[in-house]
Amino acid sequence: MTAVQLNIMDFFGTPVFGISLSIFVYLIGMWLFKITNGFFLFQPLFVGMVLGIFSLWLMAKVFSVDVAWLYRHAYKPGGDILFWFLTPATIAFAVPLYKRNDIIKRFWLEIGLSLTIGLVIALFGIYWVCKLFGLNDAGIASLLPQAATTAIAMPIAEAIGGNSAITAMACIVNAVIIYALANFLLKAFRLTEPISQGLSLGSAGHAVGSAKALQLGSVTGSMASVAFVLISIVVDLIVPVFTNLMGITP
Amino acid sequence: MKSRIRNTQPSLGPQKDAPLLVQMGIFAAILFVSSLISPLFPPEFPVPTPVIGLIILYTLLTLHIIKLEWVEKFATSMIGFISFLFVPSGIQLAASLDIMKEQGLQLILVIILSTILLLVVVAYTASFFIWLKQVIFHTDVSVEEI
Repeated sequence: MTAVQLNIMDFFGTPVFGISLSIFVYLIGMWLFKITNGFFLFQPLFVGMVLGIFSLWLMAKVFSVDVAWLYRHAYKPGGDILFWFLTPATIAFAVPLYKRNDIIKRFWLEIGLSLTIGLVIALFGIYWVCKLFGLNDAGIASLLPQAATTAIAMPIAEAIGGNSAITAMACIVNAVIIYALANFLLKAFRLTEPISQGLSLGSAGHAVGSAKALQLGSVTGSMASVAFVLISIVVDLIVPVFTNLMGITP
Repeated sequence: MKSRIRNTQPSLGPQKDAPLLVQMGIFAAILFVSSLISPLFPPEFPVPTPVIGLIILYTLLTLHIIKLEWVEKFATSMIGFISFLFVPSGIQLAASLDIMKEQGLQLILVIILSTILLLVVVAYTASFFIWLKQVIFHTDVSVEEI
């Protein structure tokens, strides 16, 4: 380890740096999103990801160290603390789910069948798109769980041999695309039925998709928030079986 | 409104939220149990801690073992934070920049196509089942607005 690296360790080795960087890049994202009246590329989380990576990359250039090294030693101690809170935050989604028990009780069969069968068909589609673009098995394994919420998709991706960083990026980009294109896609594919609109927005766009669905109406919104939670559980049940069947062994 | 209820009803009324620390305690207990259960599943069939916790909390709420006001406030504030909590998982990509350099464009294109695919496939599947329910079984599918 060089003297420069040791100094970086002294300055940034504490969790304070990772936590502060995360807060500041996210705040910049919120500010940009506000002043541009919600331009789709300025979603706070997406800006946070891009700016955070860019700052680490820039710091690595300035200190002439490896980006991955800098990430592990300067950002990760703080990042891991914030990351840990994702688990209780994901568990918290049981509360809005419980509040819409009226919908679940009436439509459990339709919701269950739509999400399960829809996901299986979509998985075949994603698999072939990956093959078409020449991704290797590790890449495919990283992208198959992307319908689940990030905290659930990442451990599944790791378990089936994917790279969870790619999975997390996929989940974030999903939300960016749904935010940008939801209205256009619903119109282009003539999807007017509120229940199916809600289920699909929640599955494809995660929490952002649910927020988008809420703009279309409260039925669409509550269907989306139900779908967004339940699709994660369906992904957990189906994706490992699917990878086994397709013989994806990274 | 809430504060007035609290002033006139010092005893635990049905609308009163549990103290935040109690709510955190319930979450901590669920988190603890889920992280004990999660490693019991075989590595080929992973069930991450949040999935188990989600199912436990939902089941306890549905069976009325846990009351909504015991967890609602903490859950709502956690959910309000969640978008920010995803920032570290996004920045994690800094450790895999070499993969992005090699396959970044393909990955982004595949992700865009996958998102559209998911949206369209789930929507059409759902429309089919809703249609089945309406036309074949003649069931009412209107949902009350809240």
